[in-house]
Amino acid sequence: MMDIFLCLKQPSRMVDSKRMRMTSNFQWILLTFLLLYLMNQVSSQKKRTPHDLKCVTNNLQVWDCSWRAPSGAGRGAAYEVCIENGLHSCYRLEKNTKIPALSPGDHEVTINFGSSISKFTLNEKDVSFIPDTPEILNLSADFSTSTLHLKWNDKGSVFPRHSNVIWEIKILRKKNMEIVKIMTHNTTLNGKDTVHHWSWTSDMPLECATHYVGIRCYIDDPKFSGHKEWSNWSLLKNISWSSDSQTKVFPQDKVILVGSDITVCCVTQEKVLLALIGSTNCPLIHLDGENVAIKIHNISASESSGTNVVFSVEDNMFGTVIFAGYPPDIPQKLNCETYDLKEIVCTWNPGRPTSLVGPRNTSYTLCESFSGKCVRYKRAEVPTNESYQLFFQMLSNQEIYNFTLNARNPLGQSESTLLVNVTEKVHPHTPTSVKVKDINSTAVTLSWHLPGSFAKIKLLCQIEINKTNSVHELRNITMKGVENSSYLIAVDKLNPYTIYIFRIRCSTKPFWKWSKWSNEKQYLTTEAIPSKGPDTWREWSSDGKNLIIYWKPLSINEANGKILSYNVSCSSDEETQSLSEILDPQHKAEIQLDKNDYIISVVAKNSVGSSPPSKIASMEIPNDDLKIEQAVGMGNGILLTWNYDPNMTCDYVIKWCNSSRSEPCLMDWKKVPSNSTETVIESDQFRPGVRYNFFLYGCRNQGYQLLRSIIGYVEELAPTVAPNFTVEDTSADSILVRWEDIPVEELRGFLRGYLFYFEKGERDTSKMRGLESGRSDIKVKNITDISQKTLRIVDLQGKTSYHLVLRAYTDGGMGPEKSMFVVTKENSVGLIIAILIPVAVAVIVGVVTSILCYRKREWIKETFYPDIPNPENCKALQFQKSVCEGSSALKTLEMNPCTPNNVEVLETRSMVPKTEDTEIISPVAERPEDSSDVEPENHVVVSYCPPVIEEEIANPGADEAGGASQVIYIDIQSMYQPQAKPEEEPENDLVGGAGYKPQMHLPVTSTVEDLAAEDDLDKTAGYRPQANVNTWNLVSPDSPRSTDSNSEIVSFGSPCSTNSRQFLIPPKDEESPKSSGGGWSFTNFFQNKPND
Amino acid sequence: MKVLAAGVVPLLLVLHWKHGAGSPIPITPVNATCATRHPCHSNLMNQIRNQLLQLNSSANALFILYYTAQGEPFPNNLDKLCSPNVTDFPPFHANGTEKARLVELYRIIAYLGASLGNITRDQKVLNPNALSLHSKLNATVDVMRGLLSNVLCRLCSKYHVAHVDVAYGPDTSGKDVFQKKKLGCQLLGKYKQVIAVVAQAF
Repeated sequence: MMDIFLCLKQPSRMVDSKRMRMTSNFQWILLTFLLLYLMNQVSSQKKRTPHDLKCVTNNLQVWDCSWRAPSGAGRGAAYEVCIENGLHSCYRLEKNTKIPALSPGDHEVTINFGSSISKFTLNEKDVSFIPDTPEILNLSADFSTSTLHLKWNDKGSVFPRHSNVIWEIKILRKKNMEIVKIMTHNTTLNGKDTVHHWSWTSDMPLECATHYVGIRCYIDDPKFSGHKEWSNWSLLKNISWSSDSQTKVFPQDKVILVGSDITVCCVTQEKVLLALIGSTNCPLIHLDGENVAIKIHNISASESSGTNVVFSVEDNMFGTVIFAGYPPDIPQKLNCETYDLKEIVCTWNPGRPTSLVGPRNTSYTLCESFSGKCVRYKRAEVPTNESYQLFFQMLSNQEIYNFTLNARNPLGQSESTLLVNVTEKVHPHTPTSVKVKDINSTAVTLSWHLPGSFAKIKLLCQIEINKTNSVHELRNITMKGVENSSYLIAVDKLNPYTIYIFRIRCSTKPFWKWSKWSNEKQYLTTEAIPSKGPDTWREWSSDGKNLIIYWKPLSINEANGKILSYNVSCSSDEETQSLSEILDPQHKAEIQLDKNDYIISVVAKNSVGSSPPSKIASMEIPNDDLKIEQAVGMGNGILLTWNYDPNMTCDYVIKWCNSSRSEPCLMDWKKVPSNSTETVIESDQFRPGVRYNFFLYGCRNQGYQLLRSIIGYVEELAPTVAPNFTVEDTSADSILVRWEDIPVEELRGFLRGYLFYFEKGERDTSKMRGLESGRSDIKVKNITDISQKTLRIVDLQGKTSYHLVLRAYTDGGMGPEKSMFVVTKENSVGLIIAILIPVAVAVIVGVVTSILCYRKREWIKETFYPDIPNPENCKALQFQKSVCEGSSALKTLEMNPCTPNNVEVLETRSMVPKTEDTEIISPVAERPEDSSDVEPENHVVVSYCPPVIEEEIANPGADEAGGASQVIYIDIQSMYQPQAKPEEEPENDLVGGAGYKPQMHLPVTSTVEDLAAEDDLDKTAGYRPQANVNTWNLVSPDSPRSTDSNSEIVSFGSPCSTNSRQFLIPPKDEESPKSSGGGWSFTNFFQNKPND
Repeated sequence: MKVLAAGVVPLLLVLHWKHGAGSPIPITPVNATCATRHPCHSNLMNQIRNQLLQLNSSANALFILYYTAQGEPFPNNLDKLCSPNVTDFPPFHANGTEKARLVELYRIIAYLGASLGNITRDQKVLNPNALSLHSKLNATVDVMRGLLSNVLCRLCSKYHVAHVDVAYGPDTSGKDVFQKKKLGCQLLGKYKQVIAVVAQAF
């Protein structure tokens, strides 16, 4: 139609658009009407005939065809249907008809209805195959396993041939029919009605909610070419749990695999508040009504009492227990063996624990496939350390067994198999009833009981033979098994009279396992005669009349029994004398012999018989050349050596004893073959530090000769005591000490010397500590001559306490020390000398001094006691008495003619010519001898001439310019003034020169030659006049202030006493703290020499 | 021997219960003869008191041991899982006469003995490794057996009561594991509560 429409539409595009559009629409409507008309005509034509033929089949044998009736046909209208299928067959039918299935291919079907005839072409391909709706025969539930069982009939008998059937089953849950699962199930139609079963296990307990089941099918017939369709769903059948009003939780006591999921529900009429798995909260899934469920994922292994799942309502809790565990592991290390060839015991290891106990625990069944017999494993009621083992009774004439051990629990099963030849797996029981019987002294029979039927096999038994103080011996014995379980063997090569301990274990051949050792059986073998005579020695008594015979008890191996007695006999060439029997344990006998050469014989006897005799000669050959030697052992023994002597035909004998014991002394002896030249003497009796005497005898011509005598120690030790020493004599410088020997018992070694220490020290202070530390104040004397018993210590100090220490030493070490304090005597001569010498020296010094003083008395006098001029002789110094006493302001001197005393003027060397008017030659030379030392040109003696001085003061410029010589009076105290201010000296002097000048006239230093003047001033410190007020200052002459204080003209006392050599001590002035320095200095004596 | 006793005694008690279940509790008429197999102990009441004190002193420990062995959430939900609301538990009146108290004590001990027998049996299956619990249960059952004998002796010798009808608790053999656990816990909770009152009354 569209094509037509498009074809019609194409030309219209050529016309004017508007007009053309209207025309086109019109044509389109016209054509539509035309078409509808035609269709209506056709339809009305159809409706007047049967039409819409459809055929379906549900069994492939009959087609159920139907068609639409022509309009106007009533319900009961009859049709004639004819099918052209080779045989023209027609049926008179009503509306629908069932026709047998037609063969493949087109078939013409004619339906006549009255006058109208409809023809159809019918092919199998046009036929639909819709199976009949299946019907559920039965739906049942196993609530314990939450399994639904469905049963239905496939009605296969109606189908002509075999066909595959697909059944689709749907499971719905809860009242709102939620689809839980849709599954298919395939079967085959076999021409018969077959009832099918199908089961489904729900993940939710069936009690929790109503479950519905429906089914439909689809028959896949390969030969049918038509359209195949699913059948309709069957009617739903449901399963629900008829609960009482009680609340219940499902599933109950469920056993599940660890790690799996499970749904637990609570069927209740109460409101569930929460759900707990153990102590863990779990979200609720609401089901119908108040029922709830929880889903547990990946559950973990339960404890033995299971995992509790509880649902809590308001005032109660309901729950269930789930047991999560594992299926049984494959039994491991399955092993089957027999103890006695009567019963087989199979053991195994269960492997991984299943976490299931009680009735859920693994059960084991052991089955033997050849015999078909099985045994079940039963657990003990009280659980212990389970040993998994099963006993299986052996079958006669069957050696090979094929065992299968099956393990089973609610979660599964496993098995392990073992093929075993039991004759090769014999693990015998422990031998019992071990008995021993004598055969002779070296052989016994050993019997034991070994339960089992070993008649057909061989046994390998092992006998352990233990002897006291000996290594155990194992003997293997192969024997044929017996039926009565009693076994007997002979054990030989034993020692007589020896305690043996026997025990036995057995295995079979071929070897599989040893049995456990039997209990030990102790047995003493019978006695035999002693195998040899006792080891003998003899000693002559100290008086030489009796011979003492010694012998050693025989060892157990030699005695072969209990020694009861000894027979001692002596024989000579003439006779044999038998002495009385000596009972054990006495091991010596004393015989009185009248001569020396007897042969002594000793025989040991036990209950069986006597030993071979042991003989020894009584003769002792003297030895004159005998020295006592020393020897030291090795701690546990002592080595003795000697030279080979071919004359010694029989054994050497070394006997020894403790040296502290009296003779005859015998501790033990040892016999050494004659070809030996050394032996080590060892004994448990040896003790370190004990002195022993060793005697080496050689055997010659049936007599013994003492060859060597040795004293020795097996080990030397340090002495236990110090030597006891005393002081024999004491002098002022020496001490004589004497000491005693240390007893041998306390010496404990060979004495090697003494160490003598001495030092100064009092009893209470000196401890003589650290003698070996090499203290320098300790003197040590090592006395290696052990025969020395005295020592004189010399070069000591008199009347001094000395600490003396003495100790002895051996090679074993130093002994203890003994100390003593001794005070040397006083040295009287020295004391006298010590007094006399200082006295003599003092006398000599006094005499010499006196002589010298006497001889130099003049000089001393001059130096220390010079004559002082008497001022009274000086008229110039005669003050008017009234003036002196009345006014202190008037201090001018009245220049009277006077005869001056000596005035010495020292003139410094100057280039400037001296002023003639100041040159006064003193008529008196006070020290002629000294004056010769002074150069004439420098030494000017001037007389006192005040006017001239005043002129010089008034004209200082001329003084400077001309450098005229001047007279300067320097008092004794201010002799250092020029040093303080040398440049101001002239000015000061000028000021100072205003007053009284003393008799001692010092040279005037030129201003040009200051430095030279300084020196001279130092040297010219002599007597100074007392009236110089400047210098009467209180300051020290050393003080700089003394030079500065010249501005203050201070009168400090009477100017009348000018003839004094001393200052008149002014009254103490508090403001002049330096007055202390103003005193007289002794050094001035020596500076004021006449020649200065 | 203990195992045998633990199995046989509950069985006998259960058989005994079948005869008297649901019936009133008659006491032997006064004129009925009453004979004990062995002479009663001279100081019977003291023994009864001591046995009650012994039971009372161990009841709490047994209770704790029991609910601990049942696993979570028992220890933390004792009020809901172990509440002592045991139906048909014989009553006890502390202010009754000695005879009445002894009769009631007999019924209680018989009830408890049977129930503890059930619990012991169940726990041996359920908790085979809880040896201390088994031991304590067995010891308690043993003391109860002795107490029951003493009480009967006392009733017989003094009050000439030769037979007392008793009632027993529900048999748990057919119940699921959780029910067994819960009933056992409830019974032991009740036992702990009752034995304190009974011990005080004597």
